[in-house]
Amino acid sequence: MTITRGLFLTLGLAAGAVGALELLARGSHNLISATTWLVGGVLLHDFVFAPLVVMLLLAGMTVLPSWARPAAAAASVVLVTVTLLAVPVLGRFGARPDNPTLLDRPYAAGWLVFAGLVLGCACGWAFVQRRGEGRQ
Amino acid sequence: MSQLKLPIPRETDFKSRLRDPAVASRVGLWLGVCFGLAFLTGLYSHFAQADYTWFPLPTRPSWLYRVTQGVHVAAGTAAVPLLLVKLWTVFPKLFARPPREKRALVLHGLERASIGVLVATAIFQLATGLANTSGWYPWAFSFRATHYAVAWLAIGALLVHIAVKLPVITGALRTDVDAADQDRPGGAATTGGLSRRGLLRTTWVAAGLAVLTTTGSAVPFLRSVSVFGVRSGRGPDGVPINKTARAAGVTASALSGEYLLSVSAGDRTRTLSRAELEALPQHTATLPIACVEGWSAVAEWTGVRVRDLVALVDGPPGAAVLVTSLQRRGHLRRTRLPGNFVQDADSLLALRLDGEPLSLDHGYPCRIIAPNRPGALQTKWVGSLEVET
Repeated sequence: MTITRGLFLTLGLAAGAVGALELLARGSHNLISATTWLVGGVLLHDFVFAPLVVMLLLAGMTVLPSWARPAAAAASVVLVTVTLLAVPVLGRFGARPDNPTLLDRPYAAGWLVFAGLVLGCACGWAFVQRRGEGRQ
Repeated sequence: MSQLKLPIPRETDFKSRLRDPAVASRVGLWLGVCFGLAFLTGLYSHFAQADYTWFPLPTRPSWLYRVTQGVHVAAGTAAVPLLLVKLWTVFPKLFARPPREKRALVLHGLERASIGVLVATAIFQLATGLANTSGWYPWAFSFRATHYAVAWLAIGALLVHIAVKLPVITGALRTDVDAADQDRPGGAATTGGLSRRGLLRTTWVAAGLAVLTTTGSAVPFLRSVSVFGVRSGRGPDGVPINKTARAAGVTASALSGEYLLSVSAGDRTRTLSRAELEALPQHTATLPIACVEGWSAVAEWTGVRVRDLVALVDGPPGAAVLVTSLQRRGHLRRTRLPGNFVQDADSLLALRLDGEPLSLDHGYPCRIIAPNRPGALQTKWVGSLEVET
């Protein structure tokens, strides 16, 4: 175990050094911009996204009956993560007027279908849970 | 005026028994697999584009780059739900109070710093990679160089994190996921409705759906379900376009009646019109075009073998060829086709795509298409070929 850990630590520090040197080699303009995005990502997650999720979860757990909670939690995990992933296509930020082969799908409609299917499955699950609780 | 003061939470304020090593190590394991895959395929792509002489790329199999880059983007995509769930499970750690004892404090500080680097670089890689696949560049840094540099930082921080946590990880993975002895002190009060196993299954479903709904751009049979795919796969002759002739500023020069391709080796130069190129022996090859942004498409390309053009000017067999586009700007205006690619029978200066003359956006009057090359190096609107002598 000690040897494995030592190996991981050494390799990790070496890889990190390669990354730091590569980043520094790109000049200060590149470094400042990259650092802003590196730090910005953590701040956005730790102090905006994560607290928001914690608060919404607390609210959901207070409002929802126990039979609806597992389905609601699972649906939230799927919907929130996939929606975040789809932000660049939903916003079509990279679209270029001269290139119709890029971002050429009806993304909003696709999202509605996706969200509908996820919520449909969740409702089905919650319904089964409720019947199960009723029998007990 | 009254002051509103929100208390800073403590690690023990988070009661859910889902936030513990049992879940974190299992999600972390797959997150590590995804980051490992993305790192290795990313390195391969970087070397393929950098054209290092100490890393000669094979020309076969012709689909290799298509697969490695497809895996790169799919691994990064699957990592998004995995990372978000992983960060959720360990969020209470953010509020852990530092120890009082000096040595413990130093170790604690070092670990927190390495975690800071890991979280920052992981979020950065996934966010910038994702934006890049959709052609969105809302930053000032150079994407390719910075994504490459930060990849080393991320994999380094990940290895350090594994080194620090190895006893916790192996302990957690050896015990049943819902066993009570894995509860954090102070935790275990609530589950938020899901069991640990339930949360894990949900996470795998989310990661699977993330890949299914996006990879149709590279895997044709998934197109109908890839509602978030950046490209539907449609385009002139069934092949999408990355950069249009208008964006490259080559419309006038590519359509000019005076267009001539220049082929040279040392002081020997031949110029050929498009009609003269069509009169040379033609060869047809079915090859994929695989973009670094993850989309790919297979098509039937017809044109003159690059090695036949090299022979026209008595270029030495096995020499590399410098390909220059009619584009005036851009670092990919000039690319180098290494010797083994020049020799390959399927490396073409293509004039036709699926039997039709190349459309302007696909590189008319002629473009390079070679097996197992990143799409960015399949130079369009070729103006000259120079054999390295």
